[in-house]
Amino acid sequence: MLSPKPMTHALIVGHRNIMKDTVDKLHELSLLHIDDYNEEETGFNIGKPFEKASEVSRKLVKLRSLTSLLELEKKYTTPTLDEIPEEFDQKLEELDDLVSQKTEARKDVEAQVRELETLKNDLLPLAGIPVDLELYRGYDNLKVFVGSIGVNIKPEIEDITSSFELFTDSHSSTIALFVPIGHEEAVSNILSNRSFKELKVPDVHGLPSENITKIDQDIEKLELKIESIEEEIIDLKEQYSEFILAGEKKLSVENEKLEAPLRIATSDHTFVIDGWVPTQDFEILEKSLNEATDNRINISKLEEKDFGSAEPRDPPTEYNNKKFAQPFQELVDLFSRPKYHELDPTIVLFFTFPLFYGLILGDMGYSLLLLGIAYAVYKLVSIPTVRSLMIVLIVCQIFSLMFGLIYMEIFGFPLAGYYTADGAFQAGLIPGFMTIDLFVSPISNEMIQYPLHRQYVIDTILVLSVVIGLLHINLGYLLGFLKVHRNHGFVEAVFEKGSWFVLQISFLLLALGYLGYIPIWAGLAVLVLSIGMLFRGEGVQGPIEIPSFISNTVSYTRVAAVGLSHIYIASTINMISLEMVMPESFGLMTIFAILVLILGHALNTVLSIIAPGLHAIRLQYVEFFTKFYEGGGRIYNPFGNLK
Amino acid sequence: MTEPSIWTNPEGWKAIGAALAVGITAIATALVQREIGSAAIGAIIENEALFGKALILTVIPEAIVIFGLVVALIIA
Repeated sequence: MLSPKPMTHALIVGHRNIMKDTVDKLHELSLLHIDDYNEEETGFNIGKPFEKASEVSRKLVKLRSLTSLLELEKKYTTPTLDEIPEEFDQKLEELDDLVSQKTEARKDVEAQVRELETLKNDLLPLAGIPVDLELYRGYDNLKVFVGSIGVNIKPEIEDITSSFELFTDSHSSTIALFVPIGHEEAVSNILSNRSFKELKVPDVHGLPSENITKIDQDIEKLELKIESIEEEIIDLKEQYSEFILAGEKKLSVENEKLEAPLRIATSDHTFVIDGWVPTQDFEILEKSLNEATDNRINISKLEEKDFGSAEPRDPPTEYNNKKFAQPFQELVDLFSRPKYHELDPTIVLFFTFPLFYGLILGDMGYSLLLLGIAYAVYKLVSIPTVRSLMIVLIVCQIFSLMFGLIYMEIFGFPLAGYYTADGAFQAGLIPGFMTIDLFVSPISNEMIQYPLHRQYVIDTILVLSVVIGLLHINLGYLLGFLKVHRNHGFVEAVFEKGSWFVLQISFLLLALGYLGYIPIWAGLAVLVLSIGMLFRGEGVQGPIEIPSFISNTVSYTRVAAVGLSHIYIASTINMISLEMVMPESFGLMTIFAILVLILGHALNTVLSIIAPGLHAIRLQYVEFFTKFYEGGGRIYNPFGNLK
Repeated sequence: MTEPSIWTNPEGWKAIGAALAVGITAIATALVQREIGSAAIGAIIENEALFGKALILTVIPEAIVIFGLVVALIIA
């Protein structure tokens, strides 16, 4: 369970005339992880795709472009075609033409709309000037200035000449100025001094305002046209979505098979497939391939080293967990797939992740709510990753409910009544259910009670979280010890990981020495010993990491702290809304109070996934994994396993 | 008899101390997470497999505010 599935390196060799049968069978079996062949000096070449591959990939491109043009969503549950029907090609061509026709038409109309909008924008500044657009051009003896200007230009023009015509639109500060051509230079100088900005007069007829009205009408008509084209496209989408998606799926499979030779080494007469198969399935693979090719194929087991002269590659990693722990593989994958020779921490995560989550949350109200939500999402969604994460969430809620039995809280309300430090009585939700004193905490002088009200035993739970953290970290070192022991032997393991246990013993001895129970040199001696072992095991890096051991340990106080902050948020929401509903002010405030209560707890429910989840996973990834886990393995991805 | 001064009430100082412990550490965390977060998003876009590592790097400075919270809890 702690190791990935054992893999066998298989080398499949045969004559090229059985290559197709072999590839088809391998695809059907979906067992062999093919290591792509990259031309090394072995005398083999990369194979050429089978016949029809280019045709199939051409169709596939067409289908995929249709998928994106029609904005179809690929669904996990789309059924695939059993066989490609005879009329498939014809139907595809027709559909392709139809869709490109429609999308082209839509593009054309959209371009027209854009053109009209540009024209309208050009016309808008001129709208306030009641001059026919034709009158702006075509003069031999007149110069026309059209543009915007911030000041009244009339007096300055009058200084130059009296024969001019000036139209102004005070709203848009647009002017149209007509002057004899002889005064062009003088006028243009004045205008440029007054930061005049020239406007383009569009080449159309009629009054600007009339033109604008007409353009608006045209745009409206064109938009209706776009709408109708879009409706047609939607019709097509509804009618053909299954055809396209199922076809795409089927052809993808075909394509993968037809292009498989690109991953295979071939010579003039033979082919060699290099890959990995789970050891338990090797015999099935051997038997099925022999059956499919009348025993004309040779399948051999190889040492781990690859075929060819390339650097040997690690075997791919496939998890080997019991069904109940499998959803937690997603959490490991989120970090990184384990290497083949590494320990697979999934089964440990199955216990520790929900444990920390439950310790932090521990509120029965939120847990039951989230349990319901997670179950509903699990039932409604078909994406495997999401389903796995929902199972993880459900397991977390079960742990949280168990701690809920210790804390006895529902949405921040205590179920049992208790006396606060200053002697005031705090009623619980269950009448008559009273908190009972158990014993005085050995850590501080806080009274441990049942149910445990975390906000009154802060010191105790802080220390308790550190203790749990120490156990967790030591579990990490233990797994690290096992890993090094397995791969490099016992002595290495003692120096590399065992030294950390010795270090902790030295801390304990130092503490005892400080308290005067034993001489202080005993602790110091063990400390020096442990640092020496660390240096021998991990080099300079080892002793440097000692401070991080301490900060990692203290980091576990978050289990207590985040849990407390969660209670405080919940009880603050309750306090605010309860204070708003005083019996005498029943009315509008009651509605607000209910709103505060619902919105507040909704927010806190979302936080109940994020905060405990993120902190619990962080404790695994940062504090726990760093003690033994590297990750970075290759994912076992058998040929034929279409995602 | 002198009036009790608000400046000499230890409860008040404790509350202010707790608030400062949480507040300043939260700002510190936010400043660091801004930098790491934007870099992490960039890395994830380049290579989605880095999500786990990016998440870890992003939550590392969370420790600062958690310690602030712990100190506040011990003070209050």
